[in-house]
Order: sequence, then structure tokens, then C-alpha cells
Amino acid sequence: MGGLEQRFPVPYKSLSLDIKVMATQIGTMGTILHARKEEGVTVQPTFNVSVIFGKRDEPMLLAITRQLIEHISSSGSSMPLVLSLGLKDHSMETLKGIVSAVMENRLW
Amino acid sequence: MSSSSCKTSEFEAAGFDSVGQDDIGGGGVQVTSFTELVDDVTLHFQIIRLPKQIYAWIGCNSAKLGNLYAAAHTRPSNTVSVTSILGGASDNTGSGIARRLVLKTGLNVIVACNIPKNSPMLEANAEKKLVEKLIALGHSRSKSPAAGPVLSSS
Repeated sequence: MGGLEQRFPVPYKSLSLDIKVMATQIGTMGTILHARKEEGVTVQPTFNVSVIFGKRDEPMLLAITRQLIEHISSSGSSMPLVLSLGLKDHSMETLKGIVSAVMENRLW
Repeated sequence: MSSSSCKTSEFEAAGFDSVGQDDIGGGGVQVTSFTELVDDVTLHFQIIRLPKQIYAWIGCNSAKLGNLYAAAHTRPSNTVSVTSILGGASDNTGSGIARRLVLKTGLNVIVACNIPKNSPMLEANAEKKLVEKLIALGHSRSKSPAAGPVLSSS
């Protein structure tokens, strides 16, 4: 496929109760991850990040998801995130690229 | 409700031309979004066609993701398996749709559906609209004898 990346945020800003992002280089959705913010008693929020479908042995995918949910949370939203990543390489550059691309195009 | 005008402008903001338009991204990824009014219920659809996979979202009156299912042909037998990957534990609304989409298209399918449970008519109507659109977009496979199932599965 030649290393292409598409992002499809759900285009329903005010109505949306979830955020869905898809990034693919391999032509399929790849691994699907889910992230949620949990409000606890402490001031610091905690996040629950998990792989719900696909590769469970690739920590970079969890790291990307965790970065994104923290960005979402720091912009004031507590919407859960469903993220699908079909990536050819799992490097730091890819992580930074995806996180910045999603934040540039965000709809929340 | 002014939700439809609100939706159109959201689509424009996101780079789509209008509700119901396709967006061909680079690399042949086709995103189709449309909305249908069925029996006083607003159904939103989003279909993303990837080379070997189809993602479909059905929204019933809201933009929640809903239950997420994955379905695919299971080699070596000719059956289709479906699993719920988000939600769908006590309510499997949408899992049948995922299964039948695999049969119709021959591709791996991911379906997200937030139709409330115990609405078989709504589910059936949503599936009908979705399949109509898939056929119109040319994603349903032709009946080739090699790939077709020998046993009929209900």
C-alpha cells in the first residue's frame, strides 16, 4: 500500500459520545484498542487502555492509545476512544506522527 | 429538530461535500456516509471500504458507536464466524448483520451498531438499507461457484 495513513474521526462533534479514529498503512483496520478515562477520588484521572481485537504483544499500540486519551482528557473531554491501528512499523516516529495528525484534525 | 442541517455542516467541516457523498481518500479508501429516515427513526450509516475489509457503522438516532462486532470466513470450513469486541455481551443486536455482510461481500467485516435491543424490525430495515448501499457501491461479490458456500447457513 506504500505507507499511506488515513484518519477518519467521526464527524459528529456535538452529538458524538465516542471518539473513533482509524489509522491504517496496511489496508485493513488492524488492531482495535479501547481507552476510557476513569474519574476517581484523586485529582489525577486514571485511564484504562486495552486491546480489544488484534495484536496484544505490541506495547507501542498501547502507548499511542494512552497518549491520545490523555490529550483528549486534557482538552476537557471525557469521551471514550476507540482506535484502530493497522501499522507496518511500530516506531516512535509513527507514534508521534499519529498523535499529532489526530490532534490536528480533532473534532472534540 | 435542526439536526440534519447541523450534520451537513459537520460533514463540510470535516471535508465531506454533503450528507450522502463518498470521499475517496488517497490509496483507494472509500468512505460513504448517509442518513435514512425509517419509521420515525433516524438511521445514520458510515461505510469505510478498505482493500480487504469493510467497516460499517449504524447509528440509531445518535452518534454513539454502540456494539462492535468482527466477522469473517472461517477456513477451512465455509462458515462465517462473528465475535463481539465491544459491548454486545447481553445483547447481540447487530451480530447477525455482521455475519450476513461477510456472506454478501466475501470480505472481513467490522460492524458497529447502536440499535437498541429487541427491535428486530429496525435491525432488519437497517440491514436492508445498508446492503442496498453496498450493492450500489459495488461491494457485494458476484456469486462465484468456487467461493460460494455449499451448505446453506441460516
